[in-house]
Amino acid sequence: MQTIGLPGTAAPHARKPGLWGWLLLAPMVLWLLLFVVVPTGILAVYSFCQRDDLGRVVFSFTWDNYVRVFDPIYLNILGRSVAYAGLTTIICVAVGYPVGWYIARRPAGLRNLLLLLVMIPFWTSFLIRTYAWIAILKNEGLLNGLLLSAGAITAPLELLYTPVAVVIGLVYAYLPFMILPVYGSAEKVDNALVEAAHDLGAGPVRAFSEVIIPLTLPGIAAGVLLVFVPAIGMFAITDLMGGARVPMIGNVIQNQFFKARNWPFGAALGVVFTLMFVFTYLAVQWHGRRSQR
Amino acid sequence: MKKSCCLILAGVLALAGCKSKEDAKVLNLFAWSEYIPQTVLDGFTAETGIKVNYETFSSGEEMLAKLLAGGVGYDIIQPPDYIAEVLIKEGELLPLDTAKLSGLDNILPEFRGMPHDPQDAYTVPYMTGSVGIVVNTERVTTPVKGFKDLFKPEHSGRIVVVDDGRELVVAALYTLGLGINDITPENIAAARPLLASWFPMIKLFDSDSPKTALLNGDVDLGYVWGGEAAILWDEDKKFQYILPEEGAHIFVDVVAIPAKAPHPDAAHAFISYLLRPEVSKLISDEFPYTNPNGAARKLLTEDQLANPGSYPKTELALDTFRHIGESGALIDELVTDLKNTSGQ
Repeated sequence: MQTIGLPGTAAPHARKPGLWGWLLLAPMVLWLLLFVVVPTGILAVYSFCQRDDLGRVVFSFTWDNYVRVFDPIYLNILGRSVAYAGLTTIICVAVGYPVGWYIARRPAGLRNLLLLLVMIPFWTSFLIRTYAWIAILKNEGLLNGLLLSAGAITAPLELLYTPVAVVIGLVYAYLPFMILPVYGSAEKVDNALVEAAHDLGAGPVRAFSEVIIPLTLPGIAAGVLLVFVPAIGMFAITDLMGGARVPMIGNVIQNQFFKARNWPFGAALGVVFTLMFVFTYLAVQWHGRRSQR
Repeated sequence: MKKSCCLILAGVLALAGCKSKEDAKVLNLFAWSEYIPQTVLDGFTAETGIKVNYETFSSGEEMLAKLLAGGVGYDIIQPPDYIAEVLIKEGELLPLDTAKLSGLDNILPEFRGMPHDPQDAYTVPYMTGSVGIVVNTERVTTPVKGFKDLFKPEHSGRIVVVDDGRELVVAALYTLGLGINDITPENIAAARPLLASWFPMIKLFDSDSPKTALLNGDVDLGYVWGGEAAILWDEDKKFQYILPEEGAHIFVDVVAIPAKAPHPDAAHAFISYLLRPEVSKLISDEFPYTNPNGAARKLLTEDQLANPGSYPKTELALDTFRHIGESGALIDELVTDLKNTSGQ
C-alpha cells in the first residue's frame, strides 16, 4: 500500500477544512479535549502537589512524588510489569499471527464465522471470564480434574496464584487484540505476491520472512501496541489470578488512589507511565517508517 | 404515577445538590456493598414513605474520597471507626440530635464511648467485627493459637490473608508486643524482618472474599475478617476461627450524618429504624458480623450466637484502630516493597 502515490497538493482532498468540516469534527475534538487533554492536565498538576492528613490534594509544589517514582522499589516493579507485558506480547504474536493469517486466507463465509468466534468472548464481562479461569486453574478445578482422571499427573498442579496464571490470564485477555490487526493486514496481502516469490525461487521460509512479514508488519505493529501497552497497566488479572502476591505497576497506581489515598504520588506514577506509552508508540512508529523505506 | 415522578424528580434534585420542599421524602445512603439487606431498606420505605437512594463503596478510603469531593449530598454514611474519628475532628459530621433518636439504649455498653467518638455525639455503631485466624481443621491437625503458629514453614503456600497493609503490619506489631496504633518509622523497621519472613509463605492476598480460596481448598489457613469466617463456619464446621493469642482488635462500622446532609430528619429516622431489635436481627441474619445491639442479640438463634466468627470467645482486651494520617504511607511502602521482594 506504500506504493500508492501521494495525492498532489492540488487534489481537492487537500483543501483546508472549512466551517462545515470543523462542525463535523467538533464532537470528536470536544471529546478529546474533555476526556483526554483535561484529565491528563489534571494528572500532571496533581503529580506536583502534596496531600494533607485526610488525603486531600494540597496545591503546594513539590518534586517529591517524582523522586519517589524513581525509588528502586517502583523501578523494579515497573521493570517487572514491562517484562510480563513483553512476554505476553511475544506469546500473543507467536500464537495470534498464525491465527490471523489463517483466518484471512479462508473463503469469505468461513472467515466471518472464525472472526465471530474470536469476538464472541467480548460479549461476556471481562471479570466474569477471569473468574472462569479461576474455576479452571484452581487446585480442585477443571484442568487438574481432567489431567488427574486422564492419569497425566498424580498430584494437582499448582497453577492458580502463580506467575504462570498471570501470564495465562494476560495472554487470554489480549490475544484478540493481536489476531484482529494481523487479520486486517493479512487480508490485504495479494496472493500473487506470495506466488511471485515462489516463482522467483524463494522457499517457504524466505517467502515468509521477506514477503509476508514485511507486508503484514503494520498489523503486527498495531497488535504489539494494543497488547503491550494495556498489559503493562493491567491490575485485575494480577489481583485475581496472581493472588495479589506480585505487584505490577497498575496495582501500585490503583493502590495510591484507593487504599493509600496518595493521589499526587499516584498521579506522578501515571504521568511517567503515560510518557512511557508515548515513547513506545514513537519507537514503533519510527521503526515502522524505517522498515518501509 | 404522578407521585413516583415527583420522587424521581426529587431524587434528581437532591443529587444535584439543590434544596426544595419536595425532597424531604428521600434519603441518600452511602454504605458498604453487601452490608445492608434490601429487606431493611424496603421496610423503612414502606413504613415512612422515604425513598432510599443506596450508593455503595468497597473501602473506607473510597468513601472518604467521594465524601470529601462533595457533589452528592449524602444523608447517611457508614465509615469505619478510624475514619469516623478524623471526620469528627475535621467537623465533617453533624452532631446527633438524641431527641430524634430512639433505641440508643439497645447498644451494648462495651460499644459505647469508644475512642473514635468518646461522647457518642456523632456516631452509632452499626456492626462490628474482628480479624482473626481461620483454620481448616480437616487439613491442619496441629493446634493454631496465634500468628506464631499460623506462619510456620509447614504452612507455607497454604495461607490466605486480607490484602490490607495495615492489618498485616498490625499482626506483626502484636507479635512483637508493640502498640498497634504507633505507626512510627522505628516500629515499621522492627516489623519489617518479621513480615519479610511471613510474606513468602502467603499463597494469596484477598480482602474481598478470602473465604473463596478456603472453600475451594486452594489454601487451608487464613487471616481474615470475622464475618468471612462466620460464613465459612456456617458452611462447614471444619473451619474454626480464633483470635490470635498475641492480640486482636475489633473494627466498628458506624452510621453517621455528614455535616452538609440535605435530609437530616430522614437520616435520624433511618438510624432509629436500624436500632430496632427486629431490624438489627435481619442484618445479623444476612451478614453475620458481631452485632453491637444487645436487644437484637436476644432475638438471635443459639447457632448464630455460637458462631465463633461472629462472637469469638476471648480473654483478650480488644483494641481498635485509630486515625494514623500520613504514617499510612509508611505501611503502604513497606507492604509494596515486601511483596515486590518476596515475589521475585
